[in-house]
Amino acid sequence: MSGLTEGIDQEMFLDPEIRNWVLFPITVIMVLVGIFRHQLTILMTGDPPKPEIKDIRQGKALMRGQLLAQNNSYIPAAAFAERKRYLCQAYEDGTYLKNKENKDQSPANLMTDPKNMEVMMDGMKKQMMGIIPQTLIMGWIQFFFSGFILIKLPFPLGLRFKQMLQSGIMTPNMDVRWVSSLSWYFINLFGLRGVFSLLLGGDNSADGIRDMTAMGTMGAMGQQPGQPQDFNKQFLGMKDTLSIIYHEWDLANIEQRVLVKYGKQARLFKSSAAK
Amino acid sequence: MSSAAELLSEIRQSSERRPFEVLKLAEPLLNTGKISRAEDVWLVYEQVFTAAIDEGQIELAKTILTILQKRFNDSQRVRRLYGMINEAVGHPSEAKQLYTQMLDADETNVLASKRLIALLKAEGHTKEAISQLVTYLDTHANDFEAWLELCSLYLRHHLYPQAAFCIEEVILQQPANHYFHLCYAEICYTMGNLGTALKEYLRVVELSTDNVRGFYGVKLVADRILDLGNRPKKEQQDAALGDAPQPATLQRLSQLATERLVYAYNRASESSRKAAEAWLKK
Repeated sequence: MSGLTEGIDQEMFLDPEIRNWVLFPITVIMVLVGIFRHQLTILMTGDPPKPEIKDIRQGKALMRGQLLAQNNSYIPAAAFAERKRYLCQAYEDGTYLKNKENKDQSPANLMTDPKNMEVMMDGMKKQMMGIIPQTLIMGWIQFFFSGFILIKLPFPLGLRFKQMLQSGIMTPNMDVRWVSSLSWYFINLFGLRGVFSLLLGGDNSADGIRDMTAMGTMGAMGQQPGQPQDFNKQFLGMKDTLSIIYHEWDLANIEQRVLVKYGKQARLFKSSAAK
Repeated sequence: MSSAAELLSEIRQSSERRPFEVLKLAEPLLNTGKISRAEDVWLVYEQVFTAAIDEGQIELAKTILTILQKRFNDSQRVRRLYGMINEAVGHPSEAKQLYTQMLDADETNVLASKRLIALLKAEGHTKEAISQLVTYLDTHANDFEAWLELCSLYLRHHLYPQAAFCIEEVILQQPANHYFHLCYAEICYTMGNLGTALKEYLRVVELSTDNVRGFYGVKLVADRILDLGNRPKKEQQDAALGDAPQPATLQRLSQLATERLVYAYNRASESSRKAAEAWLKK
């Protein structure tokens, strides 16, 4: 019996009142709540923490090592050797470290660093702002708008979706394309992203999808915002990188290069001994 | 009107100081009020402020400053402009006080540090300026303009090894810029480090074809090294020849330099050509 009905294209006539009083209101409410969330988030997020001078110094010292490793061939061997010696010593001694005394401690207690606390709190607040409205709207829709069909999807779906999309309605034979209000909510969730980008600009906090992914990651791992980096390890790593560099001065063969450039000498492919 | 705003923006981008032009361009904009609809009106105000101070139009600068202060009440960027006015009218101690206050409040304030160093330099306290700049560079080691500034300060005191160190830092950050290699070459030559000087001059002419200063350098150093070959051993050892090339190569380099210089000066004015020829014939 069910085989027969599945083949037939089910036609049902929906009350236009449904369209007026359910379809549009849900969308309008979601847009408004999104905008409201966005403005509230702007109000609530504090300024990002300003970097302290020791942090800057640490970071730039590391960059200096990177730069030296990268561009070492452009300065003469003596200059490079001098810098290498100085930087390797400084990295080992921890001259540039923010907390020189805690050099050998594990970074676990960096969690209690007050700066990081602020950043974490901000992140948590943002997530709360995302989850609560979603939950509220879902509950509201379940409460008010359950038990009837809202729309017909233009594309067919598998039978598995029946449970999710026709949640309040116990009909074994109805085509999965007829869906309830909750699924309209989900459609809106994904679809309104474009509308919000238009209304609120690119980087807005009214995005439903971002909250869902955030919920997923929050469950997966503990909060590690901003990565309290272990500079001591990075310094030691840079020190190793610097110490294994074999310095070749870019200008070792420049006389030949210049003579070739100005046409005074044919380009030699075997580097001859003539200096 | 719009093209004036564009020109001003170009001048801002290239960070040139052209106070007369800036004032000439900006005056109609500010008077007709057309600029207030543009997005970068505050940048233009800042630019005109600096130009006004450069040209000595202190009253105009003060007017602009009040406008900026009204808009950006609590801004460090505006505060330093107060310091600049003080410097301009000849109250350096007040300016210094302001900058030190700003730095006490916020150690990381780059604007205040730089203004303080500029103030010390303008007053002639180069040693203090140097020590402040060194402290600044201890934190911000990747500011190559600061390294350049330090190099010029060292050169004022003829501290060539230190200046060479600074230029090496600059080259590390900007290895393809031939001008920095030129500075380095000239410092090395002045120090007597002939081997490195020659190579650096060659780098200059490699990066920048027919660079006249570069070729002058090549010729001078190559001839000098060749000359040293005929001098007693001690003199040879004193000049840091390093791994200077063989005399044959030196001859060729010197000839190349002469040739390129002649070519360059052929297109120059009569008087400079004659002068160059006279020098080259020596």
